[in-house]
Amino acid sequence: SLKRCLISVDMRFIEKSFQGIKRELQAKDTFQNVTVLSILESPKNIKPADVCCVTKHLLTFYRDRVFQDHQESSPQIVRKISSIANSFLYMQKTLHQCQEQRWCHCSQEATNATRTVHDNYDQLDVHSAALKSLGELDIFLAWIDKNHQETSA
Amino acid sequence: ATCVSGGLPQPTNITFISINMQNILRWNPPAELQGAEVTYTVQYFIYGQKKWLSKPECRNINRTYCDLSVETSDYEHQYYAKVKAMWETNCSRWAETTRFYPFLETQIGPPEVALTTGEKSISITLTAPEKWKRNPEDSTVFMQQIYPNLKYNVSVYNTKSKRMWSQSITNHTLVLSWLEPSTLYCVQVEAFIPGPPRLIQPSHKQCVSTLEDQASALKVR
Repeated sequence: SLKRCLISVDMRFIEKSFQGIKRELQAKDTFQNVTVLSILESPKNIKPADVCCVTKHLLTFYRDRVFQDHQESSPQIVRKISSIANSFLYMQKTLHQCQEQRWCHCSQEATNATRTVHDNYDQLDVHSAALKSLGELDIFLAWIDKNHQETSA
Repeated sequence: ATCVSGGLPQPTNITFISINMQNILRWNPPAELQGAEVTYTVQYFIYGQKKWLSKPECRNINRTYCDLSVETSDYEHQYYAKVKAMWETNCSRWAETTRFYPFLETQIGPPEVALTTGEKSISITLTAPEKWKRNPEDSTVFMQQIYPNLKYNVSVYNTKSKRMWSQSITNHTLVLSWLEPSTLYCVQVEAFIPGPPRLIQPSHKQCVSTLEDQASALKVR
């Protein structure tokens, strides 16, 4: 069914964590000609029925690739990123419940969409790709806010 | 025109000023060149694309702003812009903005506010702020259509008791009841979106007086 998967997580807290490190992360990203999360920049291309699956795949992408590959010397950035990573783990649990209710179906299109993210990621060396993906968290958080929060339509 | 790059200091404070998706690039002249006949050239970049793009209307200009609303109208994408200064045969290196994300960074302009008064009440009617339009005859898009979770913060000030209170609403009408008759109240409204912090523009303060209490008016007669 098309029931929306609501994620009850404090988005303001996550956004605030990211806001504090966003400029620094984006300034270090010198590959302006690559967007890892390009699929989210044209959300009309993602059908409502695929939203939950795309979110689930992207949370897994961040957990298994981005947070693993990222190397950071600034303790402040490390702290903020691990706080965001913990929030993502919590979100995954919530989506897992959605999956059990069969509201998180994965179509081939959703799988292809997230394949694009991995392909974009693989265009760069892993550290640059991880840094870029972290700098694009504003895109992903806006996507979650829009699709998985109580107040969003 | 070729010039000696780096021969001039860069423009400073280059930033997008964005209100209701009207995105204007602004900058300050290079420090030591206030008043000189400096001209500027602007370029912009769509994040994820391949190359910098020019805007002919912002080449060799002497003003310190450039409207890039058309070029950055897809608010789900992100952008950079850069400016360089030129004076005689010298020019500066490019000065570049940080990454600009209209969807998250545009300021939400104030709603239009209409007040009608009763004896002990004031009715507030709001008209949602409109998204910037390329052409005046284009159909109107309200910012609420882009941000379904857009809310209004209504602040009310009783000029007699000096008491101030505010209320957050999502729809476009609010009736303030149980007010004092014959009292001047001032109202100010701002639109905001739950999410990353963004600059807010409150409406102009509007003051109206509640009507005279009819009961006491009759007693006096």
